[in-house]
Amino acid sequence: MNSAIQTNIIRIILIFLAQVLIFKQITFSLGGLAYIHFLIYPIAILLMPVKTSRPVLLVLAFIFGIALDMFYDSPGIHAAALVFTAYIRNIIIAFLEPFDGYNIDDVPTLKRMGTGWFVSYISVALLIHIFIYFSIEAFSFVFFFEIFLNTIFSFIVTFIFVLVLQFIFRTKY
Amino acid sequence: MYNVVQLFVKYGAHIMFVVLEIICFYLIINYNLVQKEIFLNSSNVYAAKIAEQQSKIAQFSNLRLQNDSLMHENATLIENLIAIEYSSDNIPDADSFYTQYSLIPASICNNTVHLRNNHYTLCKGSREGIKKDMGVISSHQGIIGIVRNVSENFSHVMSLLNSQTKISCSIKNRKGHGSLVWKTMDPMRMTLESIAKHEKIALGDTVITSGYSTMFPRGILVGKIEKYASIPGSNNYDITVKLFNDLTNIRYAYVIQNRFGDEQARLEKEVADE
Repeated sequence: MNSAIQTNIIRIILIFLAQVLIFKQITFSLGGLAYIHFLIYPIAILLMPVKTSRPVLLVLAFIFGIALDMFYDSPGIHAAALVFTAYIRNIIIAFLEPFDGYNIDDVPTLKRMGTGWFVSYISVALLIHIFIYFSIEAFSFVFFFEIFLNTIFSFIVTFIFVLVLQFIFRTKY
Repeated sequence: MYNVVQLFVKYGAHIMFVVLEIICFYLIINYNLVQKEIFLNSSNVYAAKIAEQQSKIAQFSNLRLQNDSLMHENATLIENLIAIEYSSDNIPDADSFYTQYSLIPASICNNTVHLRNNHYTLCKGSREGIKKDMGVISSHQGIIGIVRNVSENFSHVMSLLNSQTKISCSIKNRKGHGSLVWKTMDPMRMTLESIAKHEKIALGDTVITSGYSTMFPRGILVGKIEKYASIPGSNNYDITVKLFNDLTNIRYAYVIQNRFGDEQARLEKEVADE
């Protein structure tokens, strides 16, 4: 269990640095209509052990989000989206529960839970997170079309990237 | 107390979620300018859009009436043109009505007439050059109101039918001037105040704008005197004016642009400041 905590702390820091130093710089524009953002940071929260209690997830998400917002110059936007994602994470996990339930030390990674489970889990969670993020950023459903396009395109690239990362870093926890 | 603790043990995560989200949204709205603006304006974006659609449909449904009123207006304009042709020797070259004032035509998106304080929304805004405190007329006969607020594409007009309206008016071919206010709830009738009792007036006299403000040029027809009474103990007449134009049925308006309005206001302000 101790090494699970260690792995998670290191992973959170690495993802944070990657998001802020690398992925923040990468934005493609699609003919002025939509923008592609790499928003891989929610996996820091999404990859924490299955049995992590909700308050821990929420507090971590809040701190992580606020720290991210400092670099993005957007107080509260990432934090609000990430806290929401942390809140619904356990609901998604409960939906995807296998027949024989989860083990106490299960982690929702590709290696441990299998490709099918991981793909459905990460796609649902990421899609919700990205949609919430762009909604809060626009802050009004008048801009529904823009929100929709941004969500779809950013989701596709982020999702592929997360899968690739999972295939490369096959951590135990 | 035990119950409260129980509540927290049971729903702690949910409460925490709500509290954290509230903190986040507080930050978002307080520090992010864009969201702040949208938070205050988003409803207006909708409201203006809906009103625009609604006015489009309404405009289509009474095109015949519109055409009629446009024809009449054109007729009045042509008459005026002819009149000018014949009296051109009376008009000074510069600084006359025709160079000082120019008109911006606009269609009306939204209006109210049955409230105590009525307003219009015009489908044109600062992009077309409309500014705050410009006068709005419907044709040569008839004031509509005064521009109170302008956004990029819309402008908000305080209607004549508003308890705050006070427009300087005089009576054609007579002396003295007073202010036009709306006291009744009747959209066709207004009250002309502060015309002194020693002035001679008669029923059917035409009320025109006096030109003593930067908003309206002199001589725009407003209405005619329907009845008047001299109140005992007061220095002034109580005059009821019947308006020429029906403010409940207006689709188009002209905003009056006064080229020297700023200059005049600045000069008057300098004097007032001293």
